[in-house]
Amino acid sequence: MDKNEFLKAFADQFDETEPALITLDTKFKELEEWSSMVALMIIAMADENYNKKITGADLRESDTIGQLYERISSR
Amino acid sequence: MDQNSPFSLSGKIFVVAGASSGIGLSIAKAVVQCGGKVIGIARREEKLREMVAELGEGNASYIKADLTKDEDIQRAVDMLPEINGYVHAAGILLHQPLKFIKRELLDQVMNANYYSAVLTLSELVKRKKIRRNLYSSIVLISSISNQVGSKSLLAYSSSKGAMSAAARVIASELAIQKIRVNTLEPAMVMTDIAAQASEVHSAEALAKDAAAYPFGYGLPEDIAYCTVFLLSDASKWITAQTLTLDGGWRTIV
Repeated sequence: MDKNEFLKAFADQFDETEPALITLDTKFKELEEWSSMVALMIIAMADENYNKKITGADLRESDTIGQLYERISSR
Repeated sequence: MDQNSPFSLSGKIFVVAGASSGIGLSIAKAVVQCGGKVIGIARREEKLREMVAELGEGNASYIKADLTKDEDIQRAVDMLPEINGYVHAAGILLHQPLKFIKRELLDQVMNANYYSAVLTLSELVKRKKIRRNLYSSIVLISSISNQVGSKSLLAYSSSKGAMSAAARVIASELAIQKIRVNTLEPAMVMTDIAAQASEVHSAEALAKDAAAYPFGYGLPEDIAYCTVFLLSDASKWITAQTLTLDGGWRTIV
């Protein structure tokens, strides 16, 4: 599981947000476009691309995309 | 309950598919509570044993079967005596946004929620296992998701829509035998399946959702008591109907 690939796949779930605004340090829940729908897409993306289950707790307890990556990549 | 009451299920036998947990288990309990006998069908034998232990061997029995498999449907129906009704409360719920939908996932959900119900009913009717000319009753537990668009519930909602549509057709075909078919479409009911929602939605979003229910989220028994009514002779003039159970969520503003 490559960190930059994950970041790109994460950014792909957004339609309106400039990709440049989405980095590993981005606090993703503060993005204007963040919504329950985007959360569902992130969960589905991680499952499809990496066979990793992201839970509500993972999203709740991660502030940045990098933190989310660290939480799930070790599983 | 007075066994002569039209609401009583005394002297009757009902099959409940999905009786090992959630709404199905609650229906099994309510059937016995109202004087009926129940035969539970599910995949998890341990849970079925617990159900029988709780309800008593004189009132409840079980058949371990996976109704997504044709051979299990055949075997289960073979084992059944003549029954007064059937409740289909088995199924799965998977969240998947449109962009990530795959044929395999659609097949899985349709098989668990829709094919299982229709193919089981087909066998029951083919082998004349449901008593005729006595207002026998079939109740399918569908979902309000068939009426509204909930994000990521595409496969689940479609399967329940198919189930609700099938129920009207089956009601029409079985009317000549005085076998009734009705559908319940519950909104959010607090079960293990519903608990999955907390895995994908924030607590804040769920609290906001719950606040939109004038009577709060439903409990499994709210569905079970309504099912018992539809199984009983008290509802003998009701067939081919869909009843929404939502504590006022859809209609009260």
